[in-house]
Amino acid sequence: MRLVFALAASILFGTGAYLLLNRDLVRLVLGVVVISQSAVLTLIASGLTRGNAPIYPLPDGEISDPLSQAMALTAIVIGLAVTALLSVLILRVVLAYRTEELDEVGREEAEREARLERDDAAEHRAEEEAAR
Amino acid sequence: MTALALSLVVPWAAGIVLVILDGRRRLVGWLAVAALAANLAALVVLAVSVLSDGQVAGTTGDWPAGVGITLRADALGVLFALLSSLALLAATIHEVLEGVRERVFPGLVLLLATGLTGVFLTGDVFNFYVFFELAMTASYVLATYGGARRELGGALVFTMVNLLGTFVFLLSVAGLYHVTGTLSMAEVAARMDGVEANAALLIAVGFFIAFSVKLGLFPFHFWLPTVYTATPPAVAAILSGGLANIGVYGVLRFGGELLPRELELAATAMIVIGCASIVYGGVLAVSRRTASEMLAYSAIGQVGYVLVAIGVGGPVGFGAAILYTVVNAFNKTLLFLTAGMRGALVGAAFAVGALSVAGVPPAAGFVGKLEMFRAASDSPALIVLLFLGGALSLVYVLQVYQYDFWRGERTGGRSGWPQQALIAVLALLVLAAGLWPEPLLALSQDAAAALPGRDR
Repeated sequence: MRLVFALAASILFGTGAYLLLNRDLVRLVLGVVVISQSAVLTLIASGLTRGNAPIYPLPDGEISDPLSQAMALTAIVIGLAVTALLSVLILRVVLAYRTEELDEVGREEAEREARLERDDAAEHRAEEEAAR
Repeated sequence: MTALALSLVVPWAAGIVLVILDGRRRLVGWLAVAALAANLAALVVLAVSVLSDGQVAGTTGDWPAGVGITLRADALGVLFALLSSLALLAATIHEVLEGVRERVFPGLVLLLATGLTGVFLTGDVFNFYVFFELAMTASYVLATYGGARRELGGALVFTMVNLLGTFVFLLSVAGLYHVTGTLSMAEVAARMDGVEANAALLIAVGFFIAFSVKLGLFPFHFWLPTVYTATPPAVAAILSGGLANIGVYGVLRFGGELLPRELELAATAMIVIGCASIVYGGVLAVSRRTASEMLAYSAIGQVGYVLVAIGVGGPVGFGAAILYTVVNAFNKTLLFLTAGMRGALVGAAFAVGALSVAGVPPAAGFVGKLEMFRAASDSPALIVLLFLGGALSLVYVLQVYQYDFWRGERTGGRSGWPQQALIAVLALLVLAAGLWPEPLLALSQDAAAALPGRDR
């Protein structure tokens, strides 16, 4: 059983990581969703026990581990909230940049850097001219 | 316990209410400042009782111990909570004086304060994750503050990278639960000895990666300059003065208390990574000419010192790491807030912050650097490197000071007197901490004593 969980979690993580390497912004969100599922699966797998429902007062015999279920539920809720937030963020980026490609967003930053460096160099030349 | 509960409940409840209200109105902004001040006051009361009577602990909802979530405040947690709360308060007052531009800003800062206070005062590993995620989510939204294209691009990078970091953290929490069968930090620390070495090492590496991403250490720093330069000064001050403390606290708490064996094993690696950060941050900061870009790269270099001190370890190393974090958070809050300002007091405040970053007395940075040298006194190579880092920081801060204030390259209108008074107060705090360092030294020693670590 552990092996199945481990395989499933690692495949999910790998899929998510692959999606994150994509240029498409929507796939970034999907990648994060898939990776969060991999984390949830790992949380469930961290306390795999079979038994009665763990309701207080505790019944006789083995009980199943309530903590890993509680953790998984919390992680799912947080994952949902983060996904919603991320979707809105991507939507605003798409509206602002008018593109769904990550490259375009990065290019603007690179152009700004290049412009700053050009300005610096030009000013440096002007200073040298003035000194002469 | 009352002060502990209040320090969490006040910003949380106020944050939920203020998120609904329109934060651009003056009154709402000042309400947020009042709630943050109340949080700070509760933390001061808590700190006094922790320092005089030792650790304060309690279980939420009156559940029996072992069932409910434990909250506990020891010297280390209280010190970090106080520090972050102070940084947030200063940045919020500054932004309210300047005029808040987005309606959710005051509420989000309060929720961030709740998350930070919770992270530092929880005694439960999973609860740590929940508060951690609360603080991070609030800061993802804060990073979009301003709402123009650059801010959004920066926020996208910030969110994606840090989300990955939190998932790595969550995976490590699951691993920790699997090998120890408990989530309480005290229990985990007690049971860690019987755990198989390889499993423990894997978990420790996961935690280290998660916190290094938050800190912006050298191989994980790639997101930091984009974000710190794209966000407005107040948000950059909040991120570097408040949020980045989680990284140092996490490495100290998880490394020093829960996984001391693994920390010892990784000591050399941590010193190497720290040194790489110092050199990389310093060299790149020298090549920048605007204040915010220089500060972003300087932030990468400064956390390198902290990591070196943690790598050295023992009471001296941990004490130096904590002291340096406190001083660095003050410096960064002060300098980022001055980044967009002009005026008579601004230059003086910037100079104080700059001297503190470079470690020149009488600013507080001198005490931090002195403790660093004390921690590294065994190794000549390390001392040379720390000296080199200090020299680089002196060059980059004075270079930007020269550009901005002597050649007058800083543009924009003169800032109002209240804003200038605020940063003057911050600068005076930095000076006071440098002139009278005993309380800060004693605090950081107490905080380091809360960690068992290894003995040297």
